Amino acid sequence: MAETKENYDLTPRVAPNLDRHLVFPILEFLQERQLYPDEQILKFKIELLNKTNMVDYAMDIHKSLYHTEDAPQDMVERRAEVVARLKSLEEAAAPLVTFLLNPAAVQELRADKQYNLQMLKERYQIGPDQIEALYQYAKFQFECGNYSGAADYLYQYRTLCSNLERSLSALWGKLASEILMQNWDIAFEELNRVKDIIDSKSFASPLNQVQNRIWLMHWGLYIFFNHDNGRTQIIDLFNQDKYLNAIQTSAPHLLRYLATAFIVNKRKRPQLKEFIKVIQQEHYSYKDPIVEFLACVFVNYDFDGAQKKMKECEEVIVNDPFLGKRVENGNFSTVPLRDEFLENARLFIFETYCRIHQRIDMGVLAEKLNLNYEEAERWIVNLIRTSKLDAKIDSEAGTVIMEPTQPNVHEQLINHTKALSGRTYKLVTQLLEHTQGQAAR
Amino acid sequence: MSRFFAQGGSDSEDESDIEEEILEDQNNDINNRYLQDNSDDDDDTDTKRVIKPTKDKRFEEMTHAVEQMKNAMKINDWVSLQENFDKVNKQLEKVMRITEAVKPPSLYIKTLVMLEDFLNEALANKEAKKKMSPSNSKALNAMRQKLKKNNKLYEEDINKYREAPEVEEENELEDEDDEDEEDEDEEDDDSKEAVTDEGVGDTTDTRWETMLNKKDKQMEKLLSKDPKEITWDWVNQKFKEIMAARGRKGTARFDLVDQLTHLTKIAKTPAQKLEILFSVISAQFDVNPGLSGHMPIKVWKKCVLNMLTILDILVKYNNIVVDDTIEPDENETSKPADYDGTIRVWGNLVAFIVRIDTEFFKILKSIDPHTREYVERLRDEPMFLALAQNIQDYFERMGDFKAAAKVALRRVESIYYKPQEVYEAMRKLAELVEEEEEAEDAEEESGPISSFIVVPEVVPRTPTFPESGRAMMDILVSLIYRNGDERTKARAMLCDIYHHALMDNFGTARDLLLMSHLQDNIQHMDISTQILFNRTMAQLGLCAFRVGMITESHSCLSELYSGQRVRELLAQGVSQSRYHEKTPEQERLERRRQMPYHMHINLELLEAVHLIGAMLLEVPNMAANSLEARRRVISKNFRRLLEISERQAFNAPPENVRDHVMAATRALTKGDFQTAFEVLNSLEVWRMLKNRDSILEMVKARIKEEALRTYLFTYSSSYESLSLEQLAKMFDVTEAQVHSIVSKMMINEELHASWDQPTRCIVFHEVQHSRLQSLAFQLTEKLSVLAESNERAMEARTGGGGLDLSSRRRDNNQDYAGAASGQPRDWSGQNRGGGYAARAGSGNRGGMQMDGSTRMVSLNRGVRA
Repeated sequence: MAETKENYDLTPRVAPNLDRHLVFPILEFLQERQLYPDEQILKFKIELLNKTNMVDYAMDIHKSLYHTEDAPQDMVERRAEVVARLKSLEEAAAPLVTFLLNPAAVQELRADKQYNLQMLKERYQIGPDQIEALYQYAKFQFECGNYSGAADYLYQYRTLCSNLERSLSALWGKLASEILMQNWDIAFEELNRVKDIIDSKSFASPLNQVQNRIWLMHWGLYIFFNHDNGRTQIIDLFNQDKYLNAIQTSAPHLLRYLATAFIVNKRKRPQLKEFIKVIQQEHYSYKDPIVEFLACVFVNYDFDGAQKKMKECEEVIVNDPFLGKRVENGNFSTVPLRDEFLENARLFIFETYCRIHQRIDMGVLAEKLNLNYEEAERWIVNLIRTSKLDAKIDSEAGTVIMEPTQPNVHEQLINHTKALSGRTYKLVTQLLEHTQGQAAR
Repeated sequence: MSRFFAQGGSDSEDESDIEEEILEDQNNDINNRYLQDNSDDDDDTDTKRVIKPTKDKRFEEMTHAVEQMKNAMKINDWVSLQENFDKVNKQLEKVMRITEAVKPPSLYIKTLVMLEDFLNEALANKEAKKKMSPSNSKALNAMRQKLKKNNKLYEEDINKYREAPEVEEENELEDEDDEDEEDEDEEDDDSKEAVTDEGVGDTTDTRWETMLNKKDKQMEKLLSKDPKEITWDWVNQKFKEIMAARGRKGTARFDLVDQLTHLTKIAKTPAQKLEILFSVISAQFDVNPGLSGHMPIKVWKKCVLNMLTILDILVKYNNIVVDDTIEPDENETSKPADYDGTIRVWGNLVAFIVRIDTEFFKILKSIDPHTREYVERLRDEPMFLALAQNIQDYFERMGDFKAAAKVALRRVESIYYKPQEVYEAMRKLAELVEEEEEAEDAEEESGPISSFIVVPEVVPRTPTFPESGRAMMDILVSLIYRNGDERTKARAMLCDIYHHALMDNFGTARDLLLMSHLQDNIQHMDISTQILFNRTMAQLGLCAFRVGMITESHSCLSELYSGQRVRELLAQGVSQSRYHEKTPEQERLERRRQMPYHMHINLELLEAVHLIGAMLLEVPNMAANSLEARRRVISKNFRRLLEISERQAFNAPPENVRDHVMAATRALTKGDFQTAFEVLNSLEVWRMLKNRDSILEMVKARIKEEALRTYLFTYSSSYESLSLEQLAKMFDVTEAQVHSIVSKMMINEELHASWDQPTRCIVFHEVQHSRLQSLAFQLTEKLSVLAESNERAMEARTGGGGLDLSSRRRDNNQDYAGAASGQPRDWSGQNRGGGYAARAGSGNRGGMQMDGSTRMVSLNRGVRA
């Protein structure tokens, strides 16, 4: 079983698309779940930290890994180096930082960027060099793990920066900082900002654009599964044609998260059908219990298979760093997403099952739903009462009888034609726009 | 065929070339008539000639006479020779008068020399003389006397000419361009004759001896030179001389090659050697005239060896640069090997390698594929691959990645169609060849003259192959994607897809195809790329079938089979069409495009796959829509075949693939899956497949499934309920499968029924519309079609405005065939991915602007982080 757990662990595929700092929460999670030996994770952490400036932290880990008290020489040296560099950067950025710390001075800034630059130069002798220094300083702060400082500075930097390229990377930095500080609302705003830039900006090659989208989606995973409204938003973002294409070409493992969101989210049913097609297409390149569950229910109508997959899904969700978030509730710790997922998955099965049946034995149904007889009956009664299900229970025979779902001919006809008027209307507006556009030319 | 004869245009003349040689020896009379005809014809047929100054006209007449004399000489016909000689003399007077020249034209002198030589020979050959007919020998004697008298007049000129024929010729060249051209053609003919068949007639032989003598003399001159006296200048001058003779009359192509080859041995500097080597290769290419013929195999091999030597030089002396853009300076090659700066030599390695490859192709095409020889030739392929690999390496080292990509494409094109087994075999062969080659080399080195510039074999003579063909493809293809130009990339992409399909990676292959957007613009590409595209589609279809994706397989192949021109589309033979007569020109072009046999895709297998796919899709479809006939046709081709077979009064036992599938179809329509499978199982073509058993299993499973569906469609109206168990038993399928299949049908509303779970039965619902209702349905459907077509018209005009329109179309990805039923356009027509493009749309990949680059996304993944 342990082996399969590792098989479903996406960390190796996700990590390359993340920032170093963003990988830490994942590693923490893995350590907690004890999927891998502790030592391995610690080693990996040190490796990660070596490229960052969080030397102290690295030293701590080193100590706990090798059970020694002294840190290796190169780390000590590196620490000195980092501190020195921090000092020099601090000095370089000092004028601007002091300016920004002064609330009265900040009041003077206006929405006009040009004006601001002019004003800074004339009255405070702050030129492009200092602004650049601010960026470097903020980056360094981020490297050192001081995310809130980095976020603040980057925010300020963006108001002053005129270089688009730089501005974008500042934005990425800000996004990372907010994610690491777990300010989900702000992070989400930043995410949208980055997304707008990626979509509107012209990239050197389509390749770059795709890569950027993929990064964005990966980073977004933190937000979507923590933000209250995230599950709708993840579908909104991932299911856009451009992003879906990117997933299919380069990161099919993201399908897991999208699939989960689809199952959990009831409001996005209409898009589900499209998504099922995508799953079928990508079947060969990516397999995952969650994705397979959808395939079982909606492609093969293999309900027993779906049943089995559901159990595997549970395992996957609990062990996934993004999906398996725990909530401490007194002495229990529960994974809210898991419960939600199971509930919805059950509903999925049941709905489809009912659609093709006329009469179902309650016992079998209970078994299929992973409930006992009483519970199943109550569950169904509830469904009938809330008129989600058009059925009756025959308690003598112990069966549920579906009402024949003969579609009304009249209704069908209306369904067929309803969309037509809208389409025609749209067509006419398009036509008019077009002719107007031509006339204007 | 030489241009000289083709000019005539009339049939009799076309043939005359061959016939002459065969008939003439035996029958002189006929000969005469022929010749006479010829002379007449020539005058007639030269109608296209523009009016020329009298001088030229006279000259031409004289040339004609000389020409006829040559012909007469060839067949030892002294009578006509004599006649013509008189004619020439008469014309000479005219010419001299017009040109007011003191000296007779060199053409005349040359003729005299020729005649004299020929005469002496004829006299010396006593035996032949005896055999001559009386009239002929009489003419011979008369000729001897006349010539003696005549030659005395021009003794001086003749002697001069004998001393320096080259100079004379050159003058002549300048004077008479027209004449030269015709002569050349004549020469073409001659040399070809000599190449192909040495013993046409005694007389030709003798004439050739004289020629040989001449060139032997030249060779002698080259060889006899004392090595010490050879200087760069001398070699350079010689080289120029020989090059000037290229393409001129009197220079046999083989000799040119020989002479040049000798020159390479005495070249003084590496650069000079290089320059001469380039000329050798060009001369070797010249050996084969015309487009349709191919290079002799020996020459081809030598050519490859020469290329390798060039590379040796280039690798060893890396200050030498090959370039074809600049005109190098005269004495560039005199710079010694240790010269500091770069030495530029004119040449184009890519063009050479491409030419070598095409020649190899042509050689293969001209050999009967069922002979041993063909296999022998195939063994030469590693040799070519080694060369290509070396050149590519060289270019990469020089930083010329564009050229490297082009060479890489050649390599890709020679391995993409090889399945792993064949690739493995080639790899082993290459290792074997290595040993043999070493032995051969030893022999060669013991040749008489060793060259001045000895170049050690720096570049390896054998190709190195990675373990798997896939690995090799990956390396080459990614190089091309990075550096190639549009066409190179497109071709490489197609080869890549083909190879993926060959390896049964259908998913990867399909994704590549969809992402590259090749099917959108393939009809703008050149024909050979289109053929490659068709081949790729065919292979993709086969691949989809092998992995059990029938629908995909069918949509790949249906277009190839939409007109009965598969052979043509895949360039695997020419199909005769009743309605469309081809001109010989077209036919020749087509022949040139043909694929060599070892690259063919088995057509029977392809047909079987296509028809079986169509059957599996079409039979249940027909059953489902039996009432509203031909409303939804999936495969037109299949429907047509079915109709034909149904029209027959008696069905004979199946013979070809088509009959088999039709027999299977008849069984399947009745739900008799066993018979259907047995009929298909008896097909011969299955042995072409690697994992035959598993594929047949798949086919069987699919047949069962479709039989079940067909059965339900056909007979559901006769049942109130049907038990799961019974169905499972009837079609020998597991209950779970039946459940899944039937459920699918219910959800898709193909079957109006539902399960009764406690009793495990299907309960059928009676659905019947009144006439009014069904009419109303028809009306709404027509309305939506109308709306759709409006939108489409709008979209076409505004250039694809509405995004939501296309997404809606995606929903009803209904009839592939409808879209594919297409217009029978010419070549391009078949490629427009009607069916498949529809799938591309539904594949959600539309609107992404990237070609090959996407592939690199996955390769470069995670650069950041």
